[in-house]
Amino acid sequence: MPAMHWTDAIVEGLRTHEVWTVPYVPDAAGWQVVSKLEADPAFTTVPSTREEEAVGIASGVYAAGGRAAVFMQSSGFGNTINALAQLCIVNRISVPLFIGMRGGLGEFNAAQIPPAQAVVPILDTLGIPHYAPEREEDVPNVVDGALRLCYAGRAPVAVLLYSSLVGAKRAT
Amino acid sequence: MRREEGVRALLDRVTDEPIIANLGPATADLFAAGDRDANLYSFGGMGLVSSIGLGVAMTAPERKVYVTDGDGSLLMNLGSLATIARMRPPNLVLIVWDNHQWAETGGQPTHTATGTDLAGIASAAGIPRVAAVSTLEAFEEALDQAAHEDGPWCIVADVEERGRPARPILDIEANLLRFRRTFEA
Repeated sequence: MPAMHWTDAIVEGLRTHEVWTVPYVPDAAGWQVVSKLEADPAFTTVPSTREEEAVGIASGVYAAGGRAAVFMQSSGFGNTINALAQLCIVNRISVPLFIGMRGGLGEFNAAQIPPAQAVVPILDTLGIPHYAPEREEDVPNVVDGALRLCYAGRAPVAVLLYSSLVGAKRAT
Repeated sequence: MRREEGVRALLDRVTDEPIIANLGPATADLFAAGDRDANLYSFGGMGLVSSIGLGVAMTAPERKVYVTDGDGSLLMNLGSLATIARMRPPNLVLIVWDNHQWAETGGQPTHTATGTDLAGIASAAGIPRVAAVSTLEAFEEALDQAAHEDGPWCIVADVEERGRPARPILDIEANLLRFRRTFEA
């Protein structure tokens, strides 16, 4: 049986773990998932003006007894540090982060490279576990495991979506 | 009006409705006026309470959800007003204690001291119900309306800064879990 498409594996992982609310700042990788969530009446997506705001909204969902995951691009991840460090980690709030990683294989835009290179060191500095499925067949287990860890640990967990999995964005 | 009068007016009008308070004076005044399970206090994450309130309001649509923000903090997250307008949660009431200063850091004047109009920004962002009040009576009137009529609401209350009670010392994780339990069926 061929592996489930990586986007469907993420959608089904969110469904299994009842992560019904998805604040996001659009990016080419994440949108391949978020567009499916927008078309699915079980999910509520929240277009956000800034990545930090999206983490704040997701924290509110958790505070009220729900579950929300945030989708963003590596270039905007730095905007979330205030929310992750001072809100999610301090209050112990579970927020899964799905980060579309630019700045690697196939990158055409030099401005995408430094912020992408900073993502993993920042996650490590904050003590946020991160996982990057490399092959399509790995995605269901990585997503399921990351979501389990996130809700058990009451802390953020990141899933990094690299171009080797999701395809490189092309210059337009 | 004074912020502590406004906090008391709000507490007089709620039973189990959640109140999410900004860091600094909003949290200190709310804790001093009436600690309760449905209070979520802030000690960091400046700028984020309006976003937290949006997430709470979307997750608990059957309850009115009150946020008490500050002018300095809301200025840090103005995009939140546009997102609240876009998602339009009818049960969200965003109250801004506008003391025109960053009171926690020495009273430096914020941009609302030099002409920035947060109620005007909220309206222009598309928030359907906006009130700007400067007396306790007008604040209470706006609160009573917000309790019974669909929003989202943004009530900007011009408050006189006279200091705040001591910062409450409490277990931050326990506060979050206590707040979260109020939503369990």
